[in-house]
Amino acid sequence: MIKMHELLHGLAIKKHATPGEIAPLIGTSEDEAVSLLDQAAKSGRAIAKDGKYVLTPLAHVALHYDYSRRCAELRDSVAFLAAYENFERINVELKTLITRWQTLDTAGTRLPNDHSNRDYDLRIIDQLGQLNERAEVLLGRFAGVLPRFAYYRTRLLAALEQAESGNIQWVSSPTIESYHTLWFELHEDLLRLLGRLRSEA
Amino acid sequence: MITLNGAYVPDKALVGGKAWSIASMSALGLNVPPAFVITTRACMDYFSAGKIDGPLVQEIESGIAWLEDQTGKRFGGGPRPLLVSVRSGAAVSMPGMMDTVLNLGMTDQTEAQLAAEWNDAAFARDVHRRFLELYAKIVLRVDAVRFEPDAPPAAWREAIAAASGVPVPTDVRHQLLRAISAVFDSWNSARARRYRKHQGISNDLGTAVTVQSMVFGNLDHRSGTGVLFSRNPLTGEKQPFGEYLPRAQGEEIVSGSHTPGPLEVMSENVSDAMQELLRCADSLERFHRDVQDIEFTVERGRLYFLQTRSAKRAPYAAVRIAEAMVKEGHIDSDEALRRVSPDQIRLLLMPWLAEGAAANAPILARGEGASPGIASGVVVLEADTAEARAKSGDHVVLARATTSPNDLHGMIAAKATITERGGTTSHAAVVARALGKPCVVGCGVDALMGLSGKRVTVDGAAGLIYAGELETEIRREETEPLLSQLLAWGIERAPIRVLADAPTASPVLDLDLLANAEKPEAIAEALESLPPGGWVRGAIFSTSDAAVQAALRAGASVIVTYPRLPALLVAVQYQPAKN
Repeated sequence: MIKMHELLHGLAIKKHATPGEIAPLIGTSEDEAVSLLDQAAKSGRAIAKDGKYVLTPLAHVALHYDYSRRCAELRDSVAFLAAYENFERINVELKTLITRWQTLDTAGTRLPNDHSNRDYDLRIIDQLGQLNERAEVLLGRFAGVLPRFAYYRTRLLAALEQAESGNIQWVSSPTIESYHTLWFELHEDLLRLLGRLRSEA
Repeated sequence: MITLNGAYVPDKALVGGKAWSIASMSALGLNVPPAFVITTRACMDYFSAGKIDGPLVQEIESGIAWLEDQTGKRFGGGPRPLLVSVRSGAAVSMPGMMDTVLNLGMTDQTEAQLAAEWNDAAFARDVHRRFLELYAKIVLRVDAVRFEPDAPPAAWREAIAAASGVPVPTDVRHQLLRAISAVFDSWNSARARRYRKHQGISNDLGTAVTVQSMVFGNLDHRSGTGVLFSRNPLTGEKQPFGEYLPRAQGEEIVSGSHTPGPLEVMSENVSDAMQELLRCADSLERFHRDVQDIEFTVERGRLYFLQTRSAKRAPYAAVRIAEAMVKEGHIDSDEALRRVSPDQIRLLLMPWLAEGAAANAPILARGEGASPGIASGVVVLEADTAEARAKSGDHVVLARATTSPNDLHGMIAAKATITERGGTTSHAAVVARALGKPCVVGCGVDALMGLSGKRVTVDGAAGLIYAGELETEIRREETEPLLSQLLAWGIERAPIRVLADAPTASPVLDLDLLANAEKPEAIAEALESLPPGGWVRGAIFSTSDAAVQAALRAGASVIVTYPRLPALLVAVQYQPAKN
């Protein structure tokens, strides 16, 4: 049943996910993800459409109330909480960096970045790489408590390397597993586990 | 070591991008602060010797001697001490390389001499502090050492030594050698190595180091610093545009701590430098065949060029400049089509509120404008509802307290997103900007839930939510003169035909019928069934670069979409992968 909780948790983070997308996120094999999703669909907790799954509204609510019981130990982990506090600080920097990626100052006016200035883009990607090095340290600490967090480390690096290769949509495009998409899912993951509200100052 | 004296422009692989651009400016006859470069070859020697060896020390010495000769200043001594910047420069720019150290050459003694020379002890002290901060952060790699503001520099150096375990050299030559080693070492930083491995770049290329004398724009009333655009980057008018701040250093403009004035101030204070600046801006623009963004400093009446590059520009200016440059004979129409990005055209084709339309419209909520644009629709509170109603053809505006990853499909389906909490860096803002849709954030707790079911108009730039559907205006690519010219060139030059409409009988692969058309995988999958030379249709081709590129790769001969210009630009600018 622990696995089922994790599966539902994974579906809450990644909506319209295939078994292949959910499996690495919750740290299980694709075969097991298929069988868990099948169970979830049969018991009315998830709905399948075109091989992709979403939680039912009721499962959403049930999941929400399940966290405090399932995550009690985690919520007492000093190491995990300390890493989380650090994560929130880096999160502010990440959001500012992504905003600078999307908008830029042109002769005193803020305009959408049309990515015609390669030097500007490279500088931001360089700073994203700097930030990622610090994030990797934190992800190592999260993974020390919850091993599945190693997933984010691998995927964030892959997105960064795509961006560094010149595929710039991998910085913040919301329709692919871009750096920002993954980061945001990571943040959602943490908020749910720890029962925190998103604070968007 | 090569002195960048303007006699020739050395090989970029040997001296790196920064030194190459300094040499190019010098070669054009521009007055650039004197600089020399330690080559990538010296970097490889450093790695095999494991240190800066005797011959390299000698070369650096002769570089410094040349700077001293050019500037009439002395490194580490008076009466006029020389300060330098030290920066990395590989042939290909890459992540992980060392940032620039400024004001190197500062000691207690040179600070006192500069205080006397500048007649400004507080500024000399400030420059000393800035040097120590950068040296600690960049060379010694220690973050956030706290400097007691009123303490003497010796105390700052102690704080750095305590944090890093390494003292800041009080000998300027040691400072310089340490900074140069740090640049070389950054070639082997974890990030740079990872990047090269991933990109298949050899580890044996090495980085160059550029050492350049500092100039100061704050020494007297005939000094200052500024930025000049060779044409107006906001309107595209052929008229130099810029800002000038007398008695200031460049960082003060960047940090926003001082508000610069218009260029007129410059022509009053230093008219010779102004004339020279305008003359050089014109020749730089002719040489680069593009609008230039020029950073400069005037030190005691003498103009120095710090950097020139192609200017960022507003969307309308981009089109206007590209077409003017064709008319003036600088570039051809092919190049003009490469100078305007598809995103710039998309921005120009976005609607705006008609004159007076908002005058009598009640404002239902206000927040921060996070993504520009105007959109109208019915307010819905759930992402799933937004998706369902959009599918049945309704225009909806998604209102949320904040957005989570679960709301993405709703944001894609909605015409605009508005939130109660969050600022311009919040998730909703980031996603809306990436989707190119209007977004207003931070409207206030409980400000939006009551709007459910109401028809509203969202102004994503002004941060306003109006009652009702307000009248908007829009540019048309076929009638707006500047756009129609670009459209004509695009039709002529693009490697694929783009039509606004298809004859009803023609067999077309219609991506508008595809679920998840915003997903690149879904598009790729659908295009697999396209016969060679087939026709494709879809709104996605006017909004997504990747969709047009996928159609080109799939061998489509016609794209049916409207507006056409963004797709045409993507097609013209598309370069197929080599492998």
